[in-house]
Amino acid sequence: MEVFGQLAGGFATALQPINILMLFVAIVLGLVIGVLPGLGGTSGVAILLPISLFIKNGALPGSNEVTAIIFLAGIYWGALFGGVITSILFNIPGEPWAVVLLFDGFPLAKRLGRPGLALASSFVSSFVGAFVATVLFTFFALPIADKALQFGPAELFAVFVLSFATLIGLGAEAPMKSVAMLAFGLLLAAVGFDTITGEQRLNFGQVSLLSGIGFVPVTIGLFGIGEILASAEEQGIGYVEKLSARLGLQDVREAFVELWKRIRLVLSNSIIGFFFGVLPGHGATAASFLGYGLARQYSKNKENFGKGEISGIMGPQSAADAAGVASLVPMITLGIPGSPTSAVIMAGLFIWGLTPGPVLFIQHENFVWGLIASIYLGHLMTFVLCLLAVPLLAMIMRVPYAIITPFIIVISIIGSYSLNNSMLDVFITVIFGLVGYWLRKLKYPLAPLVVALVLGDSTERELRKALIAGHGSPLYFFNSPLSTVLMLTALVLVLLPLIRTLRARRRGAAVTPGPAGAAH
Amino acid sequence: MRPYQVATAAAIVLIAAVAMFDSSAAFNPSAGTSPGDVGARWYPFWAAAIMAAAGLVVAYRALTTPQSAEGVFAGRTTLFAVLKLALPMLVYATLIGGVGWRTEETIYTVIPRLGFYVATALYMGGFAWWIGRYKIWWVALILVAFPLVIFVAFEVGFRVSLPKSVLYEQGILPF
Repeated sequence: MEVFGQLAGGFATALQPINILMLFVAIVLGLVIGVLPGLGGTSGVAILLPISLFIKNGALPGSNEVTAIIFLAGIYWGALFGGVITSILFNIPGEPWAVVLLFDGFPLAKRLGRPGLALASSFVSSFVGAFVATVLFTFFALPIADKALQFGPAELFAVFVLSFATLIGLGAEAPMKSVAMLAFGLLLAAVGFDTITGEQRLNFGQVSLLSGIGFVPVTIGLFGIGEILASAEEQGIGYVEKLSARLGLQDVREAFVELWKRIRLVLSNSIIGFFFGVLPGHGATAASFLGYGLARQYSKNKENFGKGEISGIMGPQSAADAAGVASLVPMITLGIPGSPTSAVIMAGLFIWGLTPGPVLFIQHENFVWGLIASIYLGHLMTFVLCLLAVPLLAMIMRVPYAIITPFIIVISIIGSYSLNNSMLDVFITVIFGLVGYWLRKLKYPLAPLVVALVLGDSTERELRKALIAGHGSPLYFFNSPLSTVLMLTALVLVLLPLIRTLRARRRGAAVTPGPAGAAH
Repeated sequence: MRPYQVATAAAIVLIAAVAMFDSSAAFNPSAGTSPGDVGARWYPFWAAAIMAAAGLVVAYRALTTPQSAEGVFAGRTTLFAVLKLALPMLVYATLIGGVGWRTEETIYTVIPRLGFYVATALYMGGFAWWIGRYKIWWVALILVAFPLVIFVAFEVGFRVSLPKSVLYEQGILPF
């Protein structure tokens, strides 16, 4: 097996002292970000993205692009684990994917008086989910990338269209809002010079807009500032439950026993979470809800759910972490982010001068396998850190609002300024912070906007390359069987919400409302 | 909720319309475009067109389907909580760069450029004093400590140059 040799090489890279050190720093940062209710994993990675550029450029002795990706991904791992701590202990989700843990995690901690067991169950199942997903990542990545290397512009464009279609067809919000946000992202990406002809467009005579609207200031604004503004509303409501955050050895042992009883659920949820996470735009959050649903569906004692059932913790956690890891797979192999967070990491790759996609496996083999090896190490490290440091992490909740909130805004502004030394970027961040807050309030999904913004340039380039190759004929997209299949799948996905509405309407019209009809 | 949904959708349509206007040369690609290519403005034009169409549908649906009666903000306190955070942030960002303009002869300054560090000190100190209601020596500590730590971490550690104040140019402050 070729894979094992490459993975061994990856471990040699990931185990270099500087990489291990930065992995540790990133995970601690990620755990802190995970615990802070106002700051999500996506914003955390976005705010720290500029720092990764300095790491890549060797600001630390021996650091390079592998250190930089290990750093960014490490923040994600930390946040994936850390978000649940506040859900379980304080009934306040630290991350969107930890919302499900309110259903059973908090009751187990509070009503049944077992906070330690609730936390340990969550960490154990997170670890299993992440581990299963990383193993799948290890074996799937190379074959997918090999296939993707043979893609021409038509296939690549079809893959982009398919990923946009999943965002629209499988999104939780109103599909037309997704379409609007997606198109807005594509439009923002088009500002500045045209990459093919070099013409200026959408800059309205402003020289400062010629280089385009940066992904980083927009994302820091939408996620970092937008989330902080949204969380400001809850300051009056939030009261912190005082629960002991101590996690004993007994709890860990018990969690393993409980895990063993549910091993089939956890393993199958991990695998489902992985394949769900590979789909573009659906990261850990959607997977966590799916995982909870599955755990409840196949449980023998459904009535325990919502009262502190351990399956209600392990089911969603294993799926969420598996999906988090999986969201990097399409990013690395195809150049398509699987979640908003991996969109931000992908923007990092662009900034470091790398092209995400199959070519990475040839030109930067070290980078890819170093990353994969670091996912194994990172989750092991996160797991151990979580077991040891929960009381410390829970204390972060005591840092007062009046200090932490302005501090996050300050860090966001440093992040958006320092990439291009541009005050314009700072204003873009502030404005998109307000925009992001407003869109969130009105239930517009932000994931399509971010994914379209990061994919906009490549989508346009492949579309136009395909059209040039086909002498302007759109039929070129149906020349190869693969692109035809992808395009048709995309079409079905886009039409999915419409089909759903029509079916619901027909059912509503055909069946007279009543208890018998409602049962169907 | 309805007026907010409609107004937001209208803003989306407006942005798209401006972009469509800017890209209205889409149908006659400029000279030198390779055969088969659609030109620089075709793609943004259609992206904007899709955005406008989606915005119109969202507005239409907001007008025709039942909407919750409540507004965007759950009462006045939440609105104030957000404004208390948003307004100082805008002031802070403005203070970093200052406000002014230049003609060929002179530079007019409305608000002097305070630079990142001085603005941050004022912002964090002000926030601790106003929102946190801290004792004055705690405010003073925050005011000095945060900019200093950031200076050491970024300017010295990561070698990132953040915007400096007018006082720096006169040699009064190191930032």
